[in-house]
Amino acid sequence: MKNANDNLIGLDIGTSRIVAARRNGEDYRYESQLNAFVRIPFSKMTLNVLKKEQVPHVVNEQEITVFGNEASRFADLLNSDTRRPMTRGILNPNEADSLSQIRHVIGAVLGDEKKNQKVCFSVPAPPLGYEANLTYHEATLKGVLEEMGYETRSINEGLAVIYSELEDTNYTGVGVSCGGGLCNVSVAYMSVPVTSFSTPKGGDFIDSSASAVTGELSNRIRIAKEETFHFNGHFADKVLQALSVYYDDLIQSVMHGLKEAFQNSRNVPRIGKPIPLVLSGGSAMPPGFRDRFEKHLNDVSLPVKFSEVRLAKDPLNATAKGALVAVMAD
Amino acid sequence: MTPYDHRWQRLPAHYERAVAWRAARIPDPAARLRFLRSWTGVERPRRTDWRRRSALLLLGFLFIPPPTVSDANGTLRVATAKILEPADHFPNVWLVDQKPDYEVFSNGLRVETRFRVRYESRKHPVYAIASDSADPLEWRTAPAGIVYHTTESLQVPFEPDNNRKLKRVSENLLNLVRDKHSYHYVIDRFGRVWRVVEETDMANHAGYSVWATAREIYVNLNRAFLGVSFEAETGSPATPAQIHSARILTDMLRSRHRIPAANCVTHAQVSVNPSNKGIGYHTDWAADFPFQDIGLADNYRRPVPSLYLFGFGYDTSYLESTGARVKTGVLLAEERLKEDATARGLSVSAYRARLQQRYQKIVAGLRPVGGSEENDGNEERK
Repeated sequence: MKNANDNLIGLDIGTSRIVAARRNGEDYRYESQLNAFVRIPFSKMTLNVLKKEQVPHVVNEQEITVFGNEASRFADLLNSDTRRPMTRGILNPNEADSLSQIRHVIGAVLGDEKKNQKVCFSVPAPPLGYEANLTYHEATLKGVLEEMGYETRSINEGLAVIYSELEDTNYTGVGVSCGGGLCNVSVAYMSVPVTSFSTPKGGDFIDSSASAVTGELSNRIRIAKEETFHFNGHFADKVLQALSVYYDDLIQSVMHGLKEAFQNSRNVPRIGKPIPLVLSGGSAMPPGFRDRFEKHLNDVSLPVKFSEVRLAKDPLNATAKGALVAVMAD
Repeated sequence: MTPYDHRWQRLPAHYERAVAWRAARIPDPAARLRFLRSWTGVERPRRTDWRRRSALLLLGFLFIPPPTVSDANGTLRVATAKILEPADHFPNVWLVDQKPDYEVFSNGLRVETRFRVRYESRKHPVYAIASDSADPLEWRTAPAGIVYHTTESLQVPFEPDNNRKLKRVSENLLNLVRDKHSYHYVIDRFGRVWRVVEETDMANHAGYSVWATAREIYVNLNRAFLGVSFEAETGSPATPAQIHSARILTDMLRSRHRIPAANCVTHAQVSVNPSNKGIGYHTDWAADFPFQDIGLADNYRRPVPSLYLFGFGYDTSYLESTGARVKTGVLLAEERLKEDATARGLSVSAYRARLQQRYQKIVAGLRPVGGSEENDGNEERK
């Protein structure tokens, strides 16, 4: 028999990946696609290969657009860069096709069935110090999903991390999502979001900054970051050293944000007990990141005490899972 | 407020501890989140399908492991620690001016006294929660709370052209209320506050009814509580002037009689029918009473005492006529009843029967409530 939860989907719309979470009995299942695309010249042979391999794509008169996970591989083959529908957590204003392409990527993640399905999608928090207008981003994604036939609601990304990971403290604590475009931070008290913000430094910032100072291609930096980088003191390799420096910069900006948010927010409750802080997202995955983050946290003076700094059980899927928990609780 | 702040208001510490304790016993993450949101007031999309929502909430409660049975043979006793009262802050309002036809108070309240009338002096019993006795703990003469009503009277369209008609209808209503000693106060549609029955006396506003605090039970509230009625009918909202007046009137009454905020409740929350052992014989303000606008906590969230203290039940028609907020109180009371039954090693039906016995004994010791005291136009309750 079909369960009511079968029609609910948590959707993490991140700068680098889009992840969907669904309930699978007592467990969760995830689908994800790279939030990127690449255009390749049209040829019947290429088209046949794509169909045979079931690679998500659309065909125009002169070219084929490959999107999702395979976009990266095709970009490597063609010695070009992937194009990104989003940048710094929101729709990319410099990408003319951002809307149509993100629609395709979302379609590839969510599949065909739309009838009576409800999607809770993640949105970033405003960046600290800016009156950023996120209304366009949120309203546009809502429009895209509704056009596709889904009922929608949205959730702050940091809060979704809390709903995913902090059940044991009745959803009290700090959720930090270190993504490709931004770090999203949210503080919640007994499930109620108290304050949230984002810092404009994520994985892309680390890649581009390290690339600029080392002269290496961003792609090589990214591969080094994902495959060999770990926090371990001083590196002889200049790429790894640069990565270490910019990771520290990212962490520092989160510390600065936490300090500013706690100082400026009138709403932060006096919390007697120490609260947990949970880290998630692809940029939180290098070995040693948690320890480094905790060290920085211990060095900064904040009006709350932390019981622990923990890494999410499944850092790449935590936001989507939290969004699903939120929509299941409606 | 900074751009990244959320609107948030902390619960009173007692509530917070109780909510956290209960939430921690809900194993399903979504059910736990739903429970916490329902108590912390976090904004979320409205769901129109209230049956499903209530069922899910109830389902969440069913997952809570029952307490350990340690005193199955003990006397009938309800743990007082389970009802947690936030510290009360009483407003400071005093009488400024007293004229033959009106009184003025320090918070701007003006009470018209042209229709005032005396009735029987107030004296009401108070029963202990932590006891199975049908004898009162003590008798008191001060009002213990306020019951809010609607007059369910003729409603002329609230428009400037109808001024004369609106005033005439209100005056007819006040005459009727005075003749029947129906309420202590009536707030007409212009927000004018009329004292009818004197505060020192009982009024026929609540009939068979039950309310309780953490330690005390009040039965048949005509004598124990003051009756404040909005000139309104169910389904049409109170006017902004009425809400403002209700707020300053409530502040005055709470200041004068030291009435706890938790004892300011609606008729639908307290009304019972002894003949069918059902709650909600009257359903005025069963939904949408503006507790917050009147400066009170949302008392709809309090478990309904008649259910868990005296074993009353309810039918689906009652739930259909109430709002989601009242249903929360009903579901909490049901859960409380189950917990108390389990703690005594009794089935829910056996425990309910014991509670009903106590109620019958208490009511037998009180003067029967006649039709006029029920304020429903019937001679006697069938």
